[in-house]
Amino acid sequence: MRKSLLVMKAEIKKQQQNDYHSYFVYFSLLVWPILGFLEIYYTYRPFEAQGRDLLAFLGTGFMAYTCFWSMVQNAWSMSNQERKNGTLEISFLTPANRLAMVYGKALGALLQEVWMFCCFCIFVLFYTKTLRWDNLALLPLFLMLLLVSSTIWGGMLNAIFLFSRDASIVMDLFDAPMTLFAGTRIPVSCFPKWAKVISLFFPLTYCLNIIRFILGLQKQENDVFFSFAGLMLCLTAMMIITKYLLVKAEKHNRETGQLQFY
Amino acid sequence: MHSGTKEYPERKIIAQHLVKDYILKEKSSLLGRKQKQVIHAVKDISLEIPKGKITGVLGINGAGKTTTIRMLASLIAPTSGVLTMDGVDAVKNHLWVKGRINVISGGERNLYWRLTARENLGYFGSLYGLRGRELKERISLLIGIVGLKDAQDVPVERYSKGMKQRLQIARGLINDPEYIFLDEPTLGLDIMIAKEIRELILNLAKERKKGILLTTHYISEAEELCDYIYVMDKGEVIAQGTKEELKELFMYQPELSIVISSEDESPSINGSYSDNNMAILNELREHFRNRIRFENGTERLLHIRGTSKDWSDVLNVLFEHQIPIHSLSIHEPNLEEILMKIISQSREGAV
Repeated sequence: MRKSLLVMKAEIKKQQQNDYHSYFVYFSLLVWPILGFLEIYYTYRPFEAQGRDLLAFLGTGFMAYTCFWSMVQNAWSMSNQERKNGTLEISFLTPANRLAMVYGKALGALLQEVWMFCCFCIFVLFYTKTLRWDNLALLPLFLMLLLVSSTIWGGMLNAIFLFSRDASIVMDLFDAPMTLFAGTRIPVSCFPKWAKVISLFFPLTYCLNIIRFILGLQKQENDVFFSFAGLMLCLTAMMIITKYLLVKAEKHNRETGQLQFY
Repeated sequence: MHSGTKEYPERKIIAQHLVKDYILKEKSSLLGRKQKQVIHAVKDISLEIPKGKITGVLGINGAGKTTTIRMLASLIAPTSGVLTMDGVDAVKNHLWVKGRINVISGGERNLYWRLTARENLGYFGSLYGLRGRELKERISLLIGIVGLKDAQDVPVERYSKGMKQRLQIARGLINDPEYIFLDEPTLGLDIMIAKEIRELILNLAKERKKGILLTTHYISEAEELCDYIYVMDKGEVIAQGTKEELKELFMYQPELSIVISSEDESPSINGSYSDNNMAILNELREHFRNRIRFENGTERLLHIRGTSKDWSDVLNVLFEHQIPIHSLSIHEPNLEEILMKIISQSREGAV
């Protein structure tokens, strides 16, 4: 356990040292998501959507989506850059806990890539009075929920990308469908039945439901219990799948030697 | 943990009949079916890497050296064969093995270029479970050994090729491995840095008792460093032994060259010297057969391959018949010549 935490810490630190050298990086991590956020907000405004509620709804949606999406991007870039550098194979030459490695990579990327936009979204939640001084204790709760869910999601994606350098199809698979079906911009309750079924496959759906319930943006209590159970099930399944994929990926790479291809 | 970890019956890596086949699946056309093709990268090799020794694997490109190293380092699994480290099954217990070995490759990959030397070593050290003061001390020690003290806090991207290679070596030593696999570690380096690295490799084996496997394109490097050499070609070990054994095995004995007349001495019409001398030389040719040769068809320069006894016999004959000797020189065959001979003989045999 101590060694696994050490590996995770090393991955987080390395990611920070390797990827973030200029303030412009942080600037782009903030400005681009805000532009996307504003685009959607002002798309809805002409249809008489209520200003503050809409802002809070989109704020939570975008924050959670950015966390999950950054995991997809990170897994893809890990697969590409680290293969090219040869560092992916070298890290697999060590006896380090593989699960800690993929979760460390995910958490490292998450902390680096989303904190500025999360700060912005928290500001939006304060501005819309969704978050207030009297319910501020909810903030660490939903941030933790977001952090854990995204990291577990990211770990699974990292494991998938270990199989092949050509796994970029996963990027396409998760971009638009996750934005649409997980309810980042549109409440899942508005979807037709078939779309609701698809939304069940994205852990982001459950995560968002819970966050919105915690912050009082979603009222139905039954829904939140269902979402909580769904999220737990999803997270457990993803952890089991990640563990399985890691064993399989290493076995596959030991047979084919593909970890060195780039 | 493992049956063999408590008592180390053999402190070496032993590979027996290792085979590595890759299956390639390729499409002949866009809509065509995938065709399977089996590539025999390593056919059947057996070798040993004892501690405190440098074992060389030589061969031309495509001989299977890198695949062999990757198998021995547990990066890839052999298709068949037995691989043990200190008596432990290295294929089944590859994670256990990975804590005790490291690989150092030539080239500039395997490092994070935007990280400094310290940061790189810190990261890789943590993957081996090192932390705190132990990690810091190990990093400082290694940075000192590879001579990067002045550049330890500079990003790797600003390093020269030689500096990157030295950092690779430090990375390869971060876990204080018992066995080190060096895949062309001096590739593309200038002679001074290559020399420093060779001294370091020698020190690791002789002073620190590491078991080292070295592949190299530079035959002189193998000749200087290796205690035992395996020659590979087309995925097979085609010869093995110490360099002296290889020379003996392939009858590469030292050669004595004798100049028996100066260039300004006028030759006879047919290019030879006196009839008397000619007769003696013919006698020598008859006696030594394929161990004596005359350069460029003239009898001015003789080359005699063999022992010092053979040489003294020839010299005695020349003295006896008062054939003047202008100069003598001895040529020791180098490993490159032997390697070329081994490979060409092996290929001729295969044909």
